[in-house]
Amino acid sequence: MRRREFSLLMGPSLVVMLGLLVIPLVRTIQWSFQEVQYGSPGDWVGLSNYTHALTDPRFGQAVFFTMLLTVIVTAAILVLGYLIATGMNGLGKLRPVILGSMLVAYVLPNIVGAVSFSWLFDQNFGGAVNYVIQAITGQDILWFTQTWPNRFMVIAHTVWHLLPFSMLMILAGLQGVPMELREAAKIDGASTRKTHFYVIIPTIRGILGFVCLITIMDVLRTFDNLIPLSPQADAIGNESIMLYVFDTAFRDGSQQLGLGSAVNVLSILLIIVCLFPFIRGLLKEAKAKA
Amino acid sequence: MRFHRYVKTGIAAFAVTASLVGVTACGAGSRSGTQGATAVECDYPMPSSATTVNVLAYNSSAIDPFTNTMVKSCTREQVTLKHDPIDFGGQVTKTTATLAGDTGTYDILETYGFVIPGFAAADDIEPLDDYFAKHADKYKLNELNQEMRTAMSYDGKLYALPMQAQMYVMAYRKDVFDAAGLKPPTTFAEMIDAAKAIQAKGEIKYPIALPLNATADITTNFQAAMNSYGVDFLDSAGKPQFTSDASRKALEAMKSLLPYMDPQVTTFDQPKVQQQMFNGTAAMAIMFSGRMNDLTLPANTKLAENFAFAAPPAVEKDAPHLYSRLSVDGWSIPKNTKLDKDMLFQMMASSVSEDASKASVPAAYPAREGMVSDDSSKYAAAANATITKTMPTSGHPAAAPVTNAIRPILVQVVTGQLDVAAGMQQMQDLADKTVAGS
Amino acid sequence: MIAETITAPSGVKVRKAATVRRRRSGSSRTVAVLLLLTSLLMLAPFIWTALSVTKPTDVAFANPPVLTGYTPTFQAFVDLWETTYFAQYLVNTMAVAVMSTIVALVIGIPAAYALSRFPGYVSAILLLLALVFRSLPRFSVVLPMYEISRALGIYDTTFALAAALVAINQPFSIWLLRNFFAEIPKELDEAAMIDGCTRLGVLRRVMIPLMRPGILTAGIFVFLFAFQEYLTALVLTDTSSKTVPVFITTQLGQTLPMLQQAGAAAMLLTLPVIAISFVAQKYLVAGLSDGSVKG
Repeated sequence: MRRREFSLLMGPSLVVMLGLLVIPLVRTIQWSFQEVQYGSPGDWVGLSNYTHALTDPRFGQAVFFTMLLTVIVTAAILVLGYLIATGMNGLGKLRPVILGSMLVAYVLPNIVGAVSFSWLFDQNFGGAVNYVIQAITGQDILWFTQTWPNRFMVIAHTVWHLLPFSMLMILAGLQGVPMELREAAKIDGASTRKTHFYVIIPTIRGILGFVCLITIMDVLRTFDNLIPLSPQADAIGNESIMLYVFDTAFRDGSQQLGLGSAVNVLSILLIIVCLFPFIRGLLKEAKAKA
Repeated sequence: MRFHRYVKTGIAAFAVTASLVGVTACGAGSRSGTQGATAVECDYPMPSSATTVNVLAYNSSAIDPFTNTMVKSCTREQVTLKHDPIDFGGQVTKTTATLAGDTGTYDILETYGFVIPGFAAADDIEPLDDYFAKHADKYKLNELNQEMRTAMSYDGKLYALPMQAQMYVMAYRKDVFDAAGLKPPTTFAEMIDAAKAIQAKGEIKYPIALPLNATADITTNFQAAMNSYGVDFLDSAGKPQFTSDASRKALEAMKSLLPYMDPQVTTFDQPKVQQQMFNGTAAMAIMFSGRMNDLTLPANTKLAENFAFAAPPAVEKDAPHLYSRLSVDGWSIPKNTKLDKDMLFQMMASSVSEDASKASVPAAYPAREGMVSDDSSKYAAAANATITKTMPTSGHPAAAPVTNAIRPILVQVVTGQLDVAAGMQQMQDLADKTVAGS
Repeated sequence: MIAETITAPSGVKVRKAATVRRRRSGSSRTVAVLLLLTSLLMLAPFIWTALSVTKPTDVAFANPPVLTGYTPTFQAFVDLWETTYFAQYLVNTMAVAVMSTIVALVIGIPAAYALSRFPGYVSAILLLLALVFRSLPRFSVVLPMYEISRALGIYDTTFALAAALVAINQPFSIWLLRNFFAEIPKELDEAAMIDGCTRLGVLRRVMIPLMRPGILTAGIFVFLFAFQEYLTALVLTDTSSKTVPVFITTQLGQTLPMLQQAGAAAMLLTLPVIAISFVAQKYLVAGLSDGSVKG
């Protein structure tokens, strides 16, 4: 393809992304060096927003919580997704039904799923989970005001929401594993566990990596589901980075747009750092193909 | 083959949706919440082109009558009033957003005494004295309670038209109290004793319910406790009072109630406290009067007949005032609206007219005088008793920012993460900084 | 069973094994039961919400939960339609979703085609940039959009929201479409161009007809993403262009009847989406698995 054709075809898309993604990004970077509110021009304050953010224990707590969430959720959906996909691989007629019902959790707006999820755990609203737990153990777990129970609930919801995606991808990957490979392993006398660990998983390495990448990307930006699930996020240390930005830069009259923007920039850097191994892998692949 | 099955299931789901929609959507937009609202005369100069007036007001059984009257009565010919349902937190966010900048989304704002000084000092809302004088006779505005008008003023000018007042009222389960031989408590100590007696009976584990929501209501309750001792967050000179004796006693009083309240009380806003009463998991609740009417409606709960109302207790026996806050709700005009402000004022005035105010009882306590007698509603006697014994507080532009600033520390003190003395000092320092910076 | 040809991530084309009739062994039955239980668990929140919104208000959120002894009612749905502007919110949501899908495809298809046919460092870098853009925290983009839209006077319009969503979902659309385009052999292009077609003509006459399943897949994804969007809608809409997810959250701190209405709104959003996920399952799987869907 000639360069001129490339530019023409790529053009509109590039313009849209430049205009609507790059320019706002530049504005965010600009704001991060200012003390500013909406509707008024800002005052230049240099790096003070950054130093404030980096020395703010609230930001540190947000980073810790977000990373914790990311690690646990990614591990959980890789393992659970793999197990479920393996199970589904052997199904015949039931597959579309199960696939369809699992997809629901993924395709629905995150916030809607989170609200429905929160009602199950809210004793004040007749939450079924609380009722069952009380009937069995006689105890009351405080899902909304205690740090770790709340974390469990948030993790459960995030896993619930992202599991279908992981399961689908791994299922597709499993279907790409050649029959011959499995049979060869069986002939060699490998147990099921060994087959999985030494034959199947290495074959679908690429897909597992991709699931990992997308999940890390998405969970690092957790925001929607914390609104109904963790109304007291800051007080119990379960604020995600994005929620912290929302609280400082937009909600409730506390309009520290500059600080919020600085945190945005910092989180972009954090995300790139987390994704770096994947980016490097992709670059290598691209170089090989080019 | 498989595709056909997917399609069948998909079509089934669509069919279910379509029938749900069809069965329920016939009257889409027909009632717009105003069916039961009173229609009053709303006579304003008709603009020349089609106009939409956006009203920002949170939903509560006390505010809704006024909002709905305004929307129903003033929507005619080319003018449509629009009111989106929104909760209190949303209203706070949207008010700040719409007042920032040269143009805003909303043309009529619901405001309350606590935030008016801040908006007025920032010159974000329109002073209403001229409009008031012009239309006083037509809408009989002089019958609006003078004290409430003062509560809506700043620097001698009126900034909002008062529609109603809210004060704390205590709701309690008469059947539970009678069974335990208890009378409504008049001090926190009596409240604790009553709670212990009810706990002993075994049915209700956490008899007291207060809205101590960590992101909003908790500061109002702290303020009410301090007010009981005759001290406010800022004194008349604007100096923060968080290291005062009253502050310490208020914090300790709040903490003393914790064993008798649901452990998740710091996530309770007023609707959740109502829910506790609806479910019968609490026996006493103290909230703003605007939330009391819901407790008497059988549609909300099977226990509707069992609730009785009283004035809230004072924190201590000889405290000068009750544990209560007086909040006056009213309508304001943002400076950045593009519509004719005289028209907007007349819309607001008609919503607080005599007929509208009368119809808002028992759900609300109107600002218009002579509307509420002791038998207007089940809680009217309690409201009347409370209003005279609530500490009158004047607003200060820094009050709202100070409240926002100290809130996280207050939560830490109440939940025990920070001890009282350290918390008081931190709140004082933070408040000093906020006042200085505003 | 027709064996489909799929591309494993390593680029090797493998023939998927033909499915053989499985013996009903005990372990496969246990697996089936476990999976059914899992899917029930996954559906539990919706089942619970559906129950809560069809109960009369005084028992809807009662504690302990009430499961029997009441007559189900659709009053919450009726109230939702009649006393709120739900009809308008729904129209807004659909309009934004449809608009952004169409525009995203119109500008995304040529771009993806170009990327698949112009190998080299430039394409790789652009694709990588697309990946990085997809990973950006939304607030870093949406907060300035709030300011820009207010300055331009397009704040609180479906147009602004749709434009924002087109941009935000572009990276993903381009990635997806490019992978589909890469499946189609370049020889087809060359053959058509030898016959006198311009590059644009090749796209129009040869590629797009072949790509119809891929385009459908990408369209479904962009539609779903736009439909689900909460954060961007929260910041960029107010009264005129409010979407259903934003409406649902403004009701979270409200009294019971309104809470039920929020749940009813959630249900009305859920059902069409479930329908889509059943009907378009094949496309969703294909899109996620990077494979091609033939015919």
